Amino acid sequence: MSRTSSDSRVELLRGTLDLLILRTLLSGPSHGHAVAKHIQRTSEELLKVETGSLYPALYRLEAKGWITASWETSDKGKRARYYRITALGRKQLASERSKWDAFARAMRLLLQPGEGTR
Amino acid sequence: MSALFRRLAWWRRRRVTEEELREELEFHLAEEADERQDEGVSSEEARRHAHLDLGNAQLIREDVRTLWTWTTVEQIGQDVRYALRTMVRYRLVVGLAIVSLALGIGANTAIYSFMDALLFRPLPVPQPESLVLVKWHSKPFKILRDSEFVMHGVNGSFDRTASGVTASILPFAAFERLQQASGSVFSGLFAYRAAGTLNVIVRDSAEVATGELVTGEFFSTLQVVPAAGRAFLPGDDRDGAPPVAILSSGYAARRFGSAQAAIGQATLINHVPYTVIGVTPQHFSGIDAATVPDVYLPLRTSVLLETETLAGLLDQNYYWLDVMGRLRPGVRLADAQTALATPFEQWARSTARTRAEFANLPALQLKNGAGGLETLRRRFSKPVYVLFAMVGLILLIACANTANLLLARSTARRREMAVRLAVGAGRLRIIRQLLTESVVLALVSGVLGVFVAFVSIETLSQLLANGQEANGQQAALIDARLDWRVLSVTLVLSIASGLLFGLAPALQSTRPSLVPALKDTLLADPHRRPRLWARMTTMQSLIVSQLIMSLLLLVAAGLFARTLTNLQSVELGFDPDHLLLFDINAAQAGRSNAETAAFYADLRRRLSESPGVRDATLAHASIIAASRGLPLEVDGVRASASRVLNAGPAIVHTLKIPLLRGRDLDERDGPGRATGVVVSDLFARTYFADRDPIGRRIHLAGPRPDDFEIVGIAANAHYSDLKREVPPVVYMPYGQTPARPLGQMTFVVRTDGDPLQYSSIVHDVVRRADPRVPVMRIRTQTEEIEQTLNQEIIFARLCTAFAVLALVMACIGLYGTMAYGVTRRTPEIGIRIALGARQGTVMWMVLREVCALAAVGLAISVPIALLASRLVQSFLFEVKPNDPYVIVSAVGVLVLAALLAGSGPARRAARISPGLALRAD
Repeated sequence: MSRTSSDSRVELLRGTLDLLILRTLLSGPSHGHAVAKHIQRTSEELLKVETGSLYPALYRLEAKGWITASWETSDKGKRARYYRITALGRKQLASERSKWDAFARAMRLLLQPGEGTR
Repeated sequence: MSALFRRLAWWRRRRVTEEELREELEFHLAEEADERQDEGVSSEEARRHAHLDLGNAQLIREDVRTLWTWTTVEQIGQDVRYALRTMVRYRLVVGLAIVSLALGIGANTAIYSFMDALLFRPLPVPQPESLVLVKWHSKPFKILRDSEFVMHGVNGSFDRTASGVTASILPFAAFERLQQASGSVFSGLFAYRAAGTLNVIVRDSAEVATGELVTGEFFSTLQVVPAAGRAFLPGDDRDGAPPVAILSSGYAARRFGSAQAAIGQATLINHVPYTVIGVTPQHFSGIDAATVPDVYLPLRTSVLLETETLAGLLDQNYYWLDVMGRLRPGVRLADAQTALATPFEQWARSTARTRAEFANLPALQLKNGAGGLETLRRRFSKPVYVLFAMVGLILLIACANTANLLLARSTARRREMAVRLAVGAGRLRIIRQLLTESVVLALVSGVLGVFVAFVSIETLSQLLANGQEANGQQAALIDARLDWRVLSVTLVLSIASGLLFGLAPALQSTRPSLVPALKDTLLADPHRRPRLWARMTTMQSLIVSQLIMSLLLLVAAGLFARTLTNLQSVELGFDPDHLLLFDINAAQAGRSNAETAAFYADLRRRLSESPGVRDATLAHASIIAASRGLPLEVDGVRASASRVLNAGPAIVHTLKIPLLRGRDLDERDGPGRATGVVVSDLFARTYFADRDPIGRRIHLAGPRPDDFEIVGIAANAHYSDLKREVPPVVYMPYGQTPARPLGQMTFVVRTDGDPLQYSSIVHDVVRRADPRVPVMRIRTQTEEIEQTLNQEIIFARLCTAFAVLALVMACIGLYGTMAYGVTRRTPEIGIRIALGARQGTVMWMVLREVCALAAVGLAISVPIALLASRLVQSFLFEVKPNDPYVIVSAVGVLVLAALLAGSGPARRAARISPGLALRAD
């Protein structure tokens, strides 16, 4: 597999991709490419989504019932597979998110003790 | 669960999804290229970058696919397909394994189906588990010895062990007492009694039917709802109630066309008019597996049928009824036991008279009654357990054999395994593959085994049916069948044996270090020696275990075969050839005692005058089946060991028993005339020692005493079961036992030539005498004797078959192992021969190993055989369980078979050409 990651980008942490996909789909249905671009842009190009992980992840989430997929026409008039978040997915997102928040807070506290105890 | 369904759904539309994924990735590429073009890159360059960015599309598809494929299931599917392919490749080995396993599994399934029918299958009624059998237990006592136990009379069977007597038969008074006392723990309680054969006349045609006497609560307690009409009500079962009957659905259909048509119909049962009020549902065939009843009659109205019932209803010391109850919801068996123990004890105390009786009162014992009455269970459970142990051994031998064959094959597949291990297959994965192979093999054998079982069940049922008729019952049977209960056991058995014989080869063949296996040379690597030895010992120990089990079966076969020969060569004392027997009951056609006696005398005359008939007489039962004891006294001494045959004129002559002194019974000894009896030689010696018995008197004690004069002495002849010792016998005229009304009799006809040719004559003569009296159970005396030996014949035959099967399997295993060993050692043997070893020496080298294996097997199995054969002691007749003759011949047969199996490979070893052997490697 070829990698084109530049130095300024960071690797995705394991397990965070699912969370990011769900969060992205929260703002509306979207196809795979758009999901990847959205994550990239919103993270100010810091995060790069590997296509090799994206599609397996999408299918995995579908298999878990957190998202659904259907074929629709894109804005450019092409047939594309659009993903939507399900109620189950929203629930999952909420719980994953609170876990992530806790984790992030813990990391911050540990790495920047001065700020944390203020 | 929903996740599982989702996956299943995905699995189904996998192809579509794969197509979709390709399209999706195409779309992704196009979007990416578009984007780059917008950034000002040339379209060519943009596509290239997009592709680079996407990475390996194939790999993505692989990754996604693992989500869809139901990996475990797919892998097992793969394994199964691979297993089938391998099985086809190794046809011969696999074929042998399948045949031996199919025989093993089939035999086990067949025997298990009998065990299930006998021991585990519940009655087909609602909530069978709440049914209770009422039994009692007491300390040991001498049966029917006056004043020792409250049971003075008995009609039924009970179990006697060293610890005491257990029985399920009770007097009617005990049933009534329990009925009063059990309201709080039982929702119902009923008494039951087999009534034997009844003469049922429907629209002037007489037929014999099996009858059951039940109390009014029978159907309501069992919760059996009639298919037509109504069940008995308590009002039907009381003195003076109009006689009503309930028929089984099969019998109603046979006699009246259908269940509905039978309701309200009039019948004559033993010449008493009964009205049919109900028909039982099809699935219900009574509570006693030993009989399939045709007619159910209320117990209390049956006094009209037989005066014996009346006596039974009144006598508190006469034990004859089976009693069952149903626990109220929430009441446990132990609660009921506690609640009823005291009332029962009080009742028993009220029937005791002497000090001995008070000291040993029967104690109530409630038992789970889900399986119904225990008649068959008592008679057959032990033989069935013995058979089950034997077929278990057969299956173990088949497993050992298969394991051995697979081990030999796994050597052939060592390279395959090594290659697979080398390219990175996990050991567990390969073990799973190999186990799948053995389980598939076992399942194929299981399917074949079901066919084997089907045939065996048919055959065995037939064999058992023969035996039942001999016991004087109609051929109602252990209803063994292949239902889901049995088949699920077969499935478990197959899988378990597949794992059992597959595990050792699987573990072993995945263990070898790769390099030598890939090279596939043995002599080149000195370190392989111990490994080879390790495999050989596994194979050898499997062979030894097969030899052990074969010897056990050989010993069993020998013991049962000797038992059978001993029984068949028992000195009968009478001539069973050319004797035709049949049963008949003229009293059931509504005759008085005197009329019945006259009818029998007339029938005997008619039969003796028929052409081809030498002699004809009658007795209360055939001499082989009779077992009647009466309270006889000689000079005031109770002759309690003596037995009586109530017989007609010329009984000694007809049976061709040598008459030692005096005369035979004749017409003078009929009812109401002189009361002469003939006694056996043993009787004379036992009770008269050296005095002359002729003209002496025998006194019949009891409620209606009588005196008899000894008019003749006959040589000893076998009386009752052949396994029993010959008792002192009194041949007493048949009308002469005042306490017993004249009922069913057995006619004995001595013919010229084949007796069965005379059966039509017999039917003719009886029809002319009275068409309302059916002829029952027409058979020859030799047939009857063979039927009484039925269990022994079955055991001897089955056991011999099992032993031969085991021996053949063990020999195949031995042959395979030795042949394998010779092939392995070809270079070594080649060198030996090249160095001058003689053929004999080489052969002995191989046979020595066979002898060593046999010796180890014998050293272990002979002591086991000596111990285990004690378990079957009760089945043996005039053979000791450790009979040296049997053991020595079993050992001889085994050693011979082993040498025979080893001689093939030994000869092959001796013929190895040294040149070829050395070049071969």
